[in-house]
Amino acid sequence: MIFEERQIEKNNFSSRAIILFCLIILGLAAVLVKVFSLQISGYTDYQLAALKNKNYAVPVQSLRGEIFDRNGRALIKNEPTYDLITRPNLISDIDSFLEEIQPVIYLSETEKLRYIKFQKEKAFVNKELVLKKDLSDEEIARFNVRSFNFQNAFIAKRYRRISDYPDIFSHVLGYTSRTEDDFNAMPEIPRSHWKDVELTYASGLIKGKTGLEEIYDEHLSGRHGQRVYEMNARGQLVQSLSLTKPEKGSDLYTNLDIDAQKSAAKFLGNRKGAVVAIDLDAGGINVLYSSPAYSINKLSNGMSESEFQALINDQDKPFFNRALQGRYPPASTIKPAIGMYGLSNNIVNWDFEMKDPGFFKLPETGRIFRGWRKGGHGKVNMHKAFLVSSNTYFFSLAYQADINELSSHLSTLGFGKKVCLDCFDEDQAFVPTPEWKYSIMNAGWVKGDTVNLGIGQGYLVATPMQLANYASILATKGQFIEPSLVALGNQKKSINTWQDESFDDADWNKMHQALLGVIESDYGTARSIRDLKDFQVAGKSGTAELVSLDSKEAYQEVRVSELLRDHSIIIAFGPMPNPRYAVSVVIENGESGGAVAGPVAIEVLKSLIDE
Amino acid sequence: MNKSFQKIYFDPYLFFSLFLLSTLGLFFLFSASNSDISLVLKQMVFVFAGFIIMILVSQPDPDIFRRTSGLFLIFSILLLGITYLFGPEINGAQRWVRLGPFSFQSSELLKLAVPIFLANFLFDKKLPIQRNEIIMSLLIIFCCFFLVFRQPDLGTALIIACSGLFVLFLSGLSWAFIGGSFVLLIISSPFIWNILLQPFQRQRITTFFNPESDPFGASWNIIQSKVAIGSGGLLGKGFGEGSQTQLNFLPETETDFIFSVIGEEFGFLGVLLLLSIYLFIILRCFYLALSARDRFCRLVIGGLSLTFAANLIINLCMVVGLLPVVGMPLPFISKGGSSLMSLFLAFGIIVSMGTHKKFLPQ
Repeated sequence: MIFEERQIEKNNFSSRAIILFCLIILGLAAVLVKVFSLQISGYTDYQLAALKNKNYAVPVQSLRGEIFDRNGRALIKNEPTYDLITRPNLISDIDSFLEEIQPVIYLSETEKLRYIKFQKEKAFVNKELVLKKDLSDEEIARFNVRSFNFQNAFIAKRYRRISDYPDIFSHVLGYTSRTEDDFNAMPEIPRSHWKDVELTYASGLIKGKTGLEEIYDEHLSGRHGQRVYEMNARGQLVQSLSLTKPEKGSDLYTNLDIDAQKSAAKFLGNRKGAVVAIDLDAGGINVLYSSPAYSINKLSNGMSESEFQALINDQDKPFFNRALQGRYPPASTIKPAIGMYGLSNNIVNWDFEMKDPGFFKLPETGRIFRGWRKGGHGKVNMHKAFLVSSNTYFFSLAYQADINELSSHLSTLGFGKKVCLDCFDEDQAFVPTPEWKYSIMNAGWVKGDTVNLGIGQGYLVATPMQLANYASILATKGQFIEPSLVALGNQKKSINTWQDESFDDADWNKMHQALLGVIESDYGTARSIRDLKDFQVAGKSGTAELVSLDSKEAYQEVRVSELLRDHSIIIAFGPMPNPRYAVSVVIENGESGGAVAGPVAIEVLKSLIDE
Repeated sequence: MNKSFQKIYFDPYLFFSLFLLSTLGLFFLFSASNSDISLVLKQMVFVFAGFIIMILVSQPDPDIFRRTSGLFLIFSILLLGITYLFGPEINGAQRWVRLGPFSFQSSELLKLAVPIFLANFLFDKKLPIQRNEIIMSLLIIFCCFFLVFRQPDLGTALIIACSGLFVLFLSGLSWAFIGGSFVLLIISSPFIWNILLQPFQRQRITTFFNPESDPFGASWNIIQSKVAIGSGGLLGKGFGEGSQTQLNFLPETETDFIFSVIGEEFGFLGVLLLLSIYLFIILRCFYLALSARDRFCRLVIGGLSLTFAANLIINLCMVVGLLPVVGMPLPFISKGGSSLMSLFLAFGIIVSMGTHKKFLPQ
């Protein structure tokens, strides 16, 4: 009986043990399935996750391309400077380290304090820290001799962006400024890693801010490289795993001409104004100068706050790029355009003559529009009207024009729109229309407005860039090329054509003759610059009136205040008869156009042609 | 009589599989501790001492464990009481008692004392077990559970409860009772959640069900553990090459999460090998239990080896993310002398019970 009971008990135990054993197998199987799903099915995901944990990629800053003028001379280059860099994690006693290095490389109190402030956090994560920037040759030599004493410090090359002509090219080249990150250029690196970027430039991460540096930023930037570190869970860098070297940006070959730009700056002097010159063969902009200027070297490589504020607050507005953004009434320089309109619309022809009594009386109201010369110029035809710059002739011509047609005619000559292919922040200035006047001033367009437009006064304004473009259209007899600063191989530029059925080659020749006469004849308004050169130049000068005055007496008073004085303007092209360059010059408050702006235009043409 | 004195009680299968396991464990520990050789040497001493203890404990007749089971339980509970009163507080828990130069985690002894005592209490009872005996057993289990739970050490408390319940189940608890208890447990679960569990224990369970809710806080451990195991792939990254382990992304590599280290560095094949060794040990224990000489030995071997298996599976499930994180080492591999000593002690008892045969009167 006992034996039987034992057998029952034993069977009972066995069956229950087997149940539990099955549960154990089930448990182990569950674990195995889970491990399989992690290690085999999910392997790629988890492998990526593990790499993401430990791999810490930092960008390595690329070197920007350099910028050259049309003769291959450097406008902006990368100049090396040298920084002293340390590894604070390997330095056990910071104070004695600083004491030891002091006789070799002098450290100011601020440099020491900055170093002591940052060394702990950099040491903790095994990162480098700059001890002193921009070492002198002497310091480099002293350190190199004793470098065995400082195993945890080394000298690293860092670049600065430097121009040998920092002032005269400031507006056109532009400057770079610091950015916190360049995330868009390298989206594969998290934004937060940019704080550990390996710098190539002494001033940090830089990006083109204005001028060519901005317009061609992508072309110049190159590709940042990246260094991958192994990082542990505390954020310490353990070792460098790989390095993808950065690619230097492409160099930029511009149409600019150092000598011509120098001439422009020299002859404009400290007057406010702008000079633009265009190469007619390729549409290349050889000169783009605005005065006053500022130093891009300082702006790109660190300028003190007070210096910067002084520039900002300067009454002459040095940051204002007059060549691209200055809005000036074109004054008499618009007369060729008005003449073209009259000829192609058969309002006048070259033989038409009229009497110039020195003023034009508007038939509707009797309002008087004065010429610049009391008593007038006698009998004038179009040729003479250009030479002596007869206002009466063009008042009368404009009087007969349809304002909407005239406005669109001016647009075809590049007024009221951007004309440059690659200029930074170009202004499109303005061509007035009746709708505009009605919407802005709530007043109807009157005939007098059109008459004023005939001599380039009133609401019409143009930039020096537009005037140079207009000059190039006149010079090429309508076969012009869109102006551009850079001659990139892949930029296909086609010849633009200005043409009108009623304005033929004979008209163009007569136009060139007349504009040549403005400078080269005995009667021309700009004859004073005739003898400054040994080639022939055609052009048209102008004086933009800032204050509309009815009497000569009042005018005398205005001349006393410089800021109210008229702007002096000229457009010119040469050498005639086969012009190669067109130029425009505006000098603010310079008064008489031909005599003031003229010499600057001639000097720029001379340095362009002489090459 | 003479014969039994000459014989050394020894189970070669268990001996060699445990030897293999703990030797591998030392290698794993070396990598998991970022090559801390002194830690490994210390563990090696424990392993060595453990084998000696195991062999010594397997020699006496099982009867001695039966007769001293009451004393053993009282001693264990007293030790726990001393810990509770005088033990140092580490990470908000009092688990350690100092014995000379060694610190000992006193709750480890209860893992042995509870199943042996219950086996002694139940082995001569008629089947099925009566209500009074069930209540008595459950009372003992609950008291021991509660004492450890209050330390607080939920993991060990659960294992102790399991060890007792295993014995109760093996000794013939009626199925009706088991079903009823389950219903009761489910009904009382809100009470357990709100009153019995500590806030950090509750947090562990919530993050288990929603690990992405707090990726840098409480669920960091389990996420990094999964990444470590998953990135090991089929063959692993190699000994000492696991980036999750070596760069300290994985926490508690020497103790609770050492399985993740193995998964990362030795891959799926390594895991398979390890689990086969464990399975072999469990199988061998079941064989010993089934062939043991009497009901007491069967119950003790069953209880102790099931406790071992439960310990193993809970650790594995926790590390791979199948269970919430409770502190529980991987047997024979994780760092820690107390757990190692109590394991060797348990296997010593198992060998003693499995190898001593009673000479039948015939």
